Amino acid sequence: MKTKAKSKINFKEFGIFIVFFALIIILMIISPNAFAQPRNLINIVKQASINGILSCGMMFVIIAGGIDLSAGSTIALAGVMAAFCAQNPEGNIFLPLIAAVLAGAAVGAVNGIGVAYLNLPPFIITLATMTGVRGLALILSGGSPVYGLNKPFEHMTSFFLFGKIPLLAVYFILIVLISGFILTKTVFGRRVYAIGGSETTAKVSGINVKRYKLIVYTICGIMSGIAGLLVASRTVQGSPTAGEGYEMDAIAAVVIGGISMSGGAGKWYGTIIGALLLAVIGNGLDILGVSSNYQKIIKGVIIAVAVYLDLRGKAKQE
Amino acid sequence: MFKKLLAMGIALTMGVSMMTGCSVVSDGSSSNAKETSSEAENTADAAEDTDEAKADTAGQKIALFMTHMSNEFTVTLSSAVEAEVKARGYDYSVYDAGQDAATQADQIEQAITLGVNGIIIEPVSVDGIVPSVKAAKEAGVKVVIVNQRISEPEAADCYVGADAATTGAKLMEEVMKDINSEGNIALLLGPMGSDGQIGRSAGFDQVLAENPNVEVVFQDTAEWQTEPALTIVENWLNAGKEIKAIVAQNDGMAVGAAKAVADAQKTGEIKVYGVDATSEGLQGVLDGNLQGTISQGTEDQGKLSADACADLLEGKEVQAETIVDNIYYTADNAQEALDALGK
Repeated sequence: MKTKAKSKINFKEFGIFIVFFALIIILMIISPNAFAQPRNLINIVKQASINGILSCGMMFVIIAGGIDLSAGSTIALAGVMAAFCAQNPEGNIFLPLIAAVLAGAAVGAVNGIGVAYLNLPPFIITLATMTGVRGLALILSGGSPVYGLNKPFEHMTSFFLFGKIPLLAVYFILIVLISGFILTKTVFGRRVYAIGGSETTAKVSGINVKRYKLIVYTICGIMSGIAGLLVASRTVQGSPTAGEGYEMDAIAAVVIGGISMSGGAGKWYGTIIGALLLAVIGNGLDILGVSSNYQKIIKGVIIAVAVYLDLRGKAKQE
Repeated sequence: MFKKLLAMGIALTMGVSMMTGCSVVSDGSSSNAKETSSEAENTADAAEDTDEAKADTAGQKIALFMTHMSNEFTVTLSSAVEAEVKARGYDYSVYDAGQDAATQADQIEQAITLGVNGIIIEPVSVDGIVPSVKAAKEAGVKVVIVNQRISEPEAADCYVGADAATTGAKLMEEVMKDINSEGNIALLLGPMGSDGQIGRSAGFDQVLAENPNVEVVFQDTAEWQTEPALTIVENWLNAGKEIKAIVAQNDGMAVGAAKAVADAQKTGEIKVYGVDATSEGLQGVLDGNLQGTISQGTEDQGKLSADACADLLEGKEVQAETIVDNIYYTADNAQEALDALGK
């Protein structure tokens, strides 16, 4: 009996790994000369990076029992701000980096204050900032992309370490590892789980829930800001319409990775698998020439299955 | 404590800047009914002022109804309308429907109630707008449709626009010349089902049908956006098929495609094309990243639709349809266009 229960839990936790590797093997068999090439596999990690970084921020918020719909708009605002700071041909990457991080932190802090101190539902306050921040990005940029950016800014994402490893992937891996460390090895991380699990219990045990929520939303804002910086660098422009709908891909990556939408549960590395899985689907099907309309259906099915597994796992535990 | 204060400070500045942000957007272009009415009241006040200020055209109002105001095309179009309407001595106001057909209908109704004389509509929905157009005509308002033809063109006074199919066909003809009508090409499309995508694709198909030696090996939508276009093209380039040209249905996607091509060190080898001739697209052409971009005559559409509306109000004859010319830009003529955009 015991072993059976264990294998169920294992399937819940590792089910998505099985799906992920099965998908990769299938694509490798169908497309040995394109998909399976090392160059393309590296490309997939690169393409997963921006959504992966966004998902890391989203993961903090979701584990704490919230949601952040403003992440996509923050990408646009941070990208536009960073681009303005990268127009000087003599400039370096620090000013744009600071601008993007500050823009992201500011949006995140507004969300955090709304949720923690004004008791607004996360869905509502982040919907409000999603709309407002998009407007701000459009106004600042005059409705058209900010371009003509300096070389160091562009090289931030186009450069390859040792000629092989894209810097974008390095940022992704670093941020995932730091996020994982914070969530599992620090008091802060454990308290974020505690708040997501039961806010009342967390309060009773003396955690300053409001402050933690403010910090969590600010972290998500900063990650969105960094993602915005990288999108701007990758496309060599700060576009006010960039990042539209990216928050949904980030939420999808987190959910696919087995992190519970009701908060308090889920492993940090699930997010990596979630982001990689979405990138594999996009890449594999693009290479096979499958229209993105079908890709949307496949993504939808995977999200539904992931949530179903999550709920079933919970029901079993109870 | 200091941290808290700092956070509050940032939040306040953000909040304030967002609020001012919203109010700037809603300046004549709100997407919410309350703001629309307060805005409309403002224009009404302004109108009363100018009524007293006499003059024959002053006090007459022309309003522009835009689908949205969030890209260079719509901004250029509305600026051109504004400049011409004001130059002809009319009061001007603009409404932003935020891509919502119902909002646009409400905004038009509001404007009619408040006594607008002429309206210029860039329709969100080519079918859904017809009742609003009829209502405006019944109220004695002159109606000019711009950029997208409505499903009952005779309901309005006239139409000014580019023809998306002609634009697509003209661009594809240029592509055929460059690749000698043979080889593989890839297409980046607008959101499937949008009028721009349908029209431009129809133009592409028309030319491609005459060129049997050209094969479309990839086509997909990148929703008009740069980063998704970049990602898709990266994937296509990894698919191991030779591609001679990538034709995008707007400049934003073309710029993304050109970046992917440049990253793969294939600039020039794979030619990239766009539509709209935005400043960024023209700059890409000058930098050698794009082979060419075709304009939809954006400025002309704005100017001519404003002229048509003013002419109608002044009792002059106006053509039922004015189609503006497309201009194809390459490295030879892009600089002039870029200078004209003032960037």
